Amino acid sequence: MIAEETRVERRRNSKKAEIVAPRQGLRLPKPIRRLQRQAPLFALQAVGELSSRLRQLTGREVIDLNRIMEVVQFIYQQRELARRGSDYAVDDFGFDPEWTESFLTVFKALYRDYWRVETTGVEHVPATGRALLVANHAGVLPWDGTMIKTSVFSEHAHPRHVRALVASQFMGMPVMSWFLRRTGQAVGHPDDTRRLLERDELVLVFPEGTRGTGKSFKDRYRLRRFGRGGFVATAIRAQAPIIPVSVVGSEEIYPMVGDLRPVARLFGLPYFPVTPFWPWLGPLGMIPLPSKWRIQFHPPVEVAHLPVSAAEDQHLVMALADDVRDIIQEGIYANLKLRRGVFL
Amino acid sequence: MTPNRVLLIGVSNPLGAEVARRLAPLVPSLFGCDKADPVSALEGMDFVHADTRLSVIGKLVRQLHIDTVVHMAVMVDSPGEERSIHETDVIGTMNVLVGCTAPSSPVRRLVVKSSQAVYGAGPHDPSFFAEDMTNVDKPASGITRDLLEMEQLVSEFALRNERCGVSLLRLGFRVSEDTSLGRYLALPIVPTFAGYDPRLQLLHEDDAAEVIVRATVGEHTGIFNVAGSGVVLLSQAIAIMGGRPAPILPPYGRWFARLGLKVAGWVDMPAHLADVLAYGSVMDCSRVEADFGWKPAHSSRQTMDALAHGRLAEVIEAPSPPQEYELQVYLQQRRRRGRLLN
Repeated sequence: MIAEETRVERRRNSKKAEIVAPRQGLRLPKPIRRLQRQAPLFALQAVGELSSRLRQLTGREVIDLNRIMEVVQFIYQQRELARRGSDYAVDDFGFDPEWTESFLTVFKALYRDYWRVETTGVEHVPATGRALLVANHAGVLPWDGTMIKTSVFSEHAHPRHVRALVASQFMGMPVMSWFLRRTGQAVGHPDDTRRLLERDELVLVFPEGTRGTGKSFKDRYRLRRFGRGGFVATAIRAQAPIIPVSVVGSEEIYPMVGDLRPVARLFGLPYFPVTPFWPWLGPLGMIPLPSKWRIQFHPPVEVAHLPVSAAEDQHLVMALADDVRDIIQEGIYANLKLRRGVFL
Repeated sequence: MTPNRVLLIGVSNPLGAEVARRLAPLVPSLFGCDKADPVSALEGMDFVHADTRLSVIGKLVRQLHIDTVVHMAVMVDSPGEERSIHETDVIGTMNVLVGCTAPSSPVRRLVVKSSQAVYGAGPHDPSFFAEDMTNVDKPASGITRDLLEMEQLVSEFALRNERCGVSLLRLGFRVSEDTSLGRYLALPIVPTFAGYDPRLQLLHEDDAAEVIVRATVGEHTGIFNVAGSGVVLLSQAIAIMGGRPAPILPPYGRWFARLGLKVAGWVDMPAHLADVLAYGSVMDCSRVEADFGWKPAHSSRQTMDALAHGRLAEVIEAPSPPQEYELQVYLQQRRRRGRLLN
């Protein structure tokens, strides 16, 4: 007769057993460790209970459980990301999709609750294949790019990452350079655009560049010159449809009333903004104002019927660039009319 | 044309020795020259002491009837001062080219080693460097300028001597124990520029030797970027090596940062590397894949893993003097022993 093994013996003799070195340092007693492990669960239960009580008492939603779950999810995601150490891969441009998606929670909160973005026409963005998104650029910091990225990722039937092209000055700035690269941005260089489009990515360009972000508040919603039409030539060469995007609301986040040129030159910046709050209030002045936003994706401007040699035809390129510019400008006026007020 | 009599210039460094070892069974006669003693004797190769800074290469080429010259005596990072780098790279290459240039010169093939450092690194650069993008809009300095000048000489030579096929190989940054980048990454606490995490592209030592051999026996002319596929972020590379990044260097005024590091005796960071460690440098290597039909066996990430693995491996002392060892193993042991003695 085979002797029955006790539970401890069975576990010790199991083939799955592996030798684990005892952890150094103080080890808390078992009940406390169990409590530690289950604390988040208890906390969530308590919040759920509280929310239903408050709903019964007041008759409306006081605590939104979905938001709470998003916060919890964000914290867990960050912990998971911290755990992967160096064991992750970035693409050749330095883009880390996992890391970027973990931050989308924050951007979605801004998108939905802070700027209350209303997006129309997102179905014009193709679910697969290359396309060039062309948008107006405003606001001192490129929040409009962030919001366009968030809208395509959260509102589109096939969530996709948009790869924005960034002015090279930002790529030279300390924290900006790695954050932008890590979240999928590339340098605003024709060569980068071509490579991204050839990989069938969605590319976002701001042809106005820093002329758009650095314009003063009195010029709001007046489009600047659209470069030299380089984006059209690149789109024709890559046979990528151009999707004009109008963004309304980004102009009011930092009402720029002045520009300190000498300071900008000192730090190698394209402009040094002066707003009613910056630089007077210090870091507080960097908080964008909660204006009401609208983003409209227009039907694509097809260039597939044009031969590749049309990219050399400067007349055609400039005419197409002007067409795209007009579509965006009209879209801005239409959306401005639809908006009830700047902050409403 | 298959190479018959091959002259390797600069065989006394580990890369040169590895190239010689791989070329020896492929070509009938192999000659090597360098100013320093060879790191190991190779049977099938005759070694000659010759300094490229003097015009002896022409004599050597004519008397030995050399038909293929492999020029590897190009310093990219060395502890020496910049003046000696200029002497070796520019003046040395000039002497080699003059040696191959005589009207009745038997040289039909020239392979020159260059480096990724020729592109420099800056915020305004595109994300990938193709072969025709050397220093688009930034002033070159130091090693970058020397390499540019050297490449200029080589391309002039190629234009003037149509009978001689020239291939110029821009090798990616290597991270063996005797490169500055390798030593930098192997530090226990690695000083980095605050707020930067650049993309690095690396080339494994084996792939570097392999591509030089393939260029020597092949018929490919032109400029070729050679580096491992993919990129590895600086923070990843440091973590793979088991180090800890210390973002203490100021983002502006890199010159002062380098000086400070040198004075503190922490690490000697060449100027071109300081730019790369802030902005990153990645090449487009599609041309070498298309022309050679070959791509480096190790990606950037695998190169980094291999370096970390080699460092962690135990040092095994040979019980008897090594005689029948593979050259690479022998070299590694020599290097390790040298470090232990130090």
